[in-house]
Amino acid sequence: MGNIFESKEFLIFDGGMGTMLQAYGLKAGELPESWNISNPGKILEIHKAYIAAGADVITTNTFGANRYKLKGSGYSCGEIIESAVKIAKEATGSKLTAHDIGPIGQLMEPYGTLSFRDAYDAFKEQVIAGTAAGADMILIETMSDIYEARAAILAAKENSHLPVLCTMTFQPDGRTLTGTDPLTMVNIISHLGVDALGINCSLGPKDIIPLLAQVLKYSSVPVIVQPNAGLPVVLDGKTFYDISPEQFGQYMAETAKMGAAILGGCCGTTPEHIRELKKAVSGLKPVRPEAVKLTAASSATATVILGEEAKIIGERINPTGKKRLKEALRNGDMDYLLREAVAQRDAGAHILDVNVGLPEIDEKAMMVRAVSELQGIVNLPLQIDSVSPDVIEAAVRICSGRPIINSVNGEKKTMDTIFPIAKKYGCLVVALTLDENGIPEKAEDRLKIAEKIVNRAGEFGIDREDIIVDCLVLTASAQQKEARETIKAVALVKEKLGIKTTLGVSNVSFGLPDRELLNRTFLAMALTAGLDAPILNPMAEAMTDTIKAYNVLWNIDKEAAEYISSRSAVNEQPVFKEKEENQSLKKLIIDGMKEEAVLTVKKLLREINGLEIVDTFLIPALDVVGQKYESGEIFLPQLIQSAETVKRAFEVIKDNMLKNAGEVTGVSRGKIVIATVKGDIHDIGKNIVKILLENYGFEVYDLGKDVPAESIVKKVQEENALMVGLSALMTTTVKSMEDTVKALRLYCPDTRVMVGGAVLNEDYAKMIGADFYGKDAREAVKIARTFYGCE
Amino acid sequence: MYIDREEVLRYMGYRGQNIDHTTEKLLNDCIDEVARVSKESFLYEIFDIERAAEGLCLKGTTLTLAGEDIGRHLAGSEKCALMAVTLGLEVDKRINFYSKTDIAKALVFDACATAAAESICDTVQEKIETVAKSMGFETTTRFSPGYGDFPIGIQKELAKVLKTYEGIGLSVNESSIMIPRKSVTAFIGLRREKSDESGNSCESCGRRNCSFRKGVE
Repeated sequence: MGNIFESKEFLIFDGGMGTMLQAYGLKAGELPESWNISNPGKILEIHKAYIAAGADVITTNTFGANRYKLKGSGYSCGEIIESAVKIAKEATGSKLTAHDIGPIGQLMEPYGTLSFRDAYDAFKEQVIAGTAAGADMILIETMSDIYEARAAILAAKENSHLPVLCTMTFQPDGRTLTGTDPLTMVNIISHLGVDALGINCSLGPKDIIPLLAQVLKYSSVPVIVQPNAGLPVVLDGKTFYDISPEQFGQYMAETAKMGAAILGGCCGTTPEHIRELKKAVSGLKPVRPEAVKLTAASSATATVILGEEAKIIGERINPTGKKRLKEALRNGDMDYLLREAVAQRDAGAHILDVNVGLPEIDEKAMMVRAVSELQGIVNLPLQIDSVSPDVIEAAVRICSGRPIINSVNGEKKTMDTIFPIAKKYGCLVVALTLDENGIPEKAEDRLKIAEKIVNRAGEFGIDREDIIVDCLVLTASAQQKEARETIKAVALVKEKLGIKTTLGVSNVSFGLPDRELLNRTFLAMALTAGLDAPILNPMAEAMTDTIKAYNVLWNIDKEAAEYISSRSAVNEQPVFKEKEENQSLKKLIIDGMKEEAVLTVKKLLREINGLEIVDTFLIPALDVVGQKYESGEIFLPQLIQSAETVKRAFEVIKDNMLKNAGEVTGVSRGKIVIATVKGDIHDIGKNIVKILLENYGFEVYDLGKDVPAESIVKKVQEENALMVGLSALMTTTVKSMEDTVKALRLYCPDTRVMVGGAVLNEDYAKMIGADFYGKDAREAVKIARTFYGCE
Repeated sequence: MYIDREEVLRYMGYRGQNIDHTTEKLLNDCIDEVARVSKESFLYEIFDIERAAEGLCLKGTTLTLAGEDIGRHLAGSEKCALMAVTLGLEVDKRINFYSKTDIAKALVFDACATAAAESICDTVQEKIETVAKSMGFETTTRFSPGYGDFPIGIQKELAKVLKTYEGIGLSVNESSIMIPRKSVTAFIGLRREKSDESGNSCESCGRRNCSFRKGVE
């Protein structure tokens, strides 16, 4: 069955359903799928018209047959899909039926409130129903969000034996609504085991052509195209599309000549369009252009290709030897992790390595949380770094892009555990050149292991392009002669295997003075040998500068353009005037001068301890700012800039305490768990409350937005927090605030609840059972300070 | 895209304070950035109003408009334009990003985006006015779910009628919140005679002590 997509003839799909139904009197807002049951004759008529026009495949009328869109319709997903497949099969006879699955119609986390798990479950329900009803294939179509497409494909692959096709719809800017470009789409989807992929809906066929060229260039599976009949035009309240059936046929013949093998129509196309399409391609045969094979990792919206210039894999999200990160992981402080990610991106990282392994935490839960948060904030591809296959699988499953797995090695057991995961989720894999016998001394032996890994990967259906070899860096202080072997091994792997390489560069200098000098020299040597993706600290300028210099000397940075511009930026770096730096810390805070305040705190820490700085400068400055705010002398953005300044100052003090005492002590005024309640996604207000509470020394556990009552109860119990702050901005979500208060009363009777948000007031807060109402962030601080006896 | 600085300040509770250099720069940067990253798009359609026992219906759709306030707003209107506007997801992404990295910027950026969405609404409203004029109609002001007693629960149905997700990527979650967040839906009545409203949408609203209330202190 799978090879029908590779056939010597074009496979012709049908055209639009919605437009036809509207012509038959479907109301705006009415569920088109309900007609499978209330008006099956009309659906059959449309299917038959497409068969008569020459379609080989009929798409079922199930685009929106998911549990979310069907809610309140009185129909179940199962009955709608079963009836739809039945009608389609009645029309198709010996032809084929495609079970149609459209987007759920809700945005996924973190921008929306639909979780990956819930999306997967909804698709799974559809897939099972369509497969049981006897469809011949599954068409996942009109996807805007690659993350949702990924959930749908996984649901299809895990719950059905049918072939899977997947199409996405693009905007005039060449990206989907959520920002995915064609290369990124292909790089993610083609590795998930789909039988065909392509573009549908979007604009008209003419505008699809340049996007299609990208897809054809990279896709290793057959390509499907189903454009709209041009753009909709409204005339006298009726919608028309501006491309005639004849024009449609001509454009489609063009796409066929380019290499598309599966052809059909989307919105506005009719049996006439399909008839013309069939006619226009009748003299043609499918051509399959050779796909360009890349070693490329993707986030949902960007793709990083290895093998061009050196690509930096940022190494800082790894707790080994980092006290502050360890503390953040233990406390579930995701903001710290995100700041590290952003800082690395800003410093030039192309990919982020993510390792959250600490013996005392649940690594799997933390990894899943870290990955979800990171991919919502930074658009860099991720490298999932763990020794546990369980953790790796959980993480790559919920990745929205195409991640790298770090790592596999030459041990049979490891390969046989990791490769199936990499294959199923379409990941790249870092291959360490070690095996049961350890790390070979000689470069030639490391090459042999690399070869063994590549061959074994091939047996799992993983291409050599999907492997990145790490020839392993040993410390020069202990194994001096092997530093050179590593460089030789990189060159050998490049020469003999033609495979991309990575190295954890800074290992080389452990135990020696002036590590940076050794690191950057070693990096330059490795780059020359053919290193594609160094794993390093992008904040270490000596390293990133070495890459910039290398790019000039190796003729990658043409006319040294980037090098020259980076040098002039160095000279323009702001130099703080002595005057500003010496201003009192209190004034710097009041004025919201973040960088200057950080420098001043660092200076002060040489003379006095952190707690003293908090009491003498930070808190009094905050009080002044608070008074100014209340008297109307300054307004909200100014108050918050001061709060941000204090936050940065606190960070410096905390780092200092960790460095000197190994722990942060004496700062906490009490624990407060805060969250925006389930269903609500507004969190700027909550974040403002959070920063002010932190400024005043409270230990704030921020659970984020759209948080179910159970999670809040769980955290309160875990931390024994005596106070909870809840935020809700909509009349519709105050109900879930009330439910949360009830749950807290039941399970955490000693905990007091403070609430806030635009739709609340004192009376409303009482009505839903809260203890305190904070009309703004300053008020919230006062309530907390009074409650914890600070005033 | 036009972003009204005064509106941005109003959303942040500005009451004539001295705006220092840092805040001024933040404000200007955010106005520029919102204008740059917004992918504004809109949809509208004009329907006949049918008056039935259960409320106002829009002909050819599944919509029934319940509530006294919307009834009052559309009294005398024969037709009704339904509009939806969004700034797109990139604005949400940035707000999310700044919420994690720089809350002051998140706040100002959010306010600028709200002002931008309003300004797109004004543009769409003008388009609707032009179409209405050509059909011989005058228009009312905009009326949105959540105004007065008009429930925001209607957002979902409204999104289905205009097919906002398919058309402009505007979805409505289970709590009737629109995502992307910087989105607006509204009803505009089309009537034969000019209405006598002031044009200040706050005046007809029952929330007297709302801190954003305009010009009725």
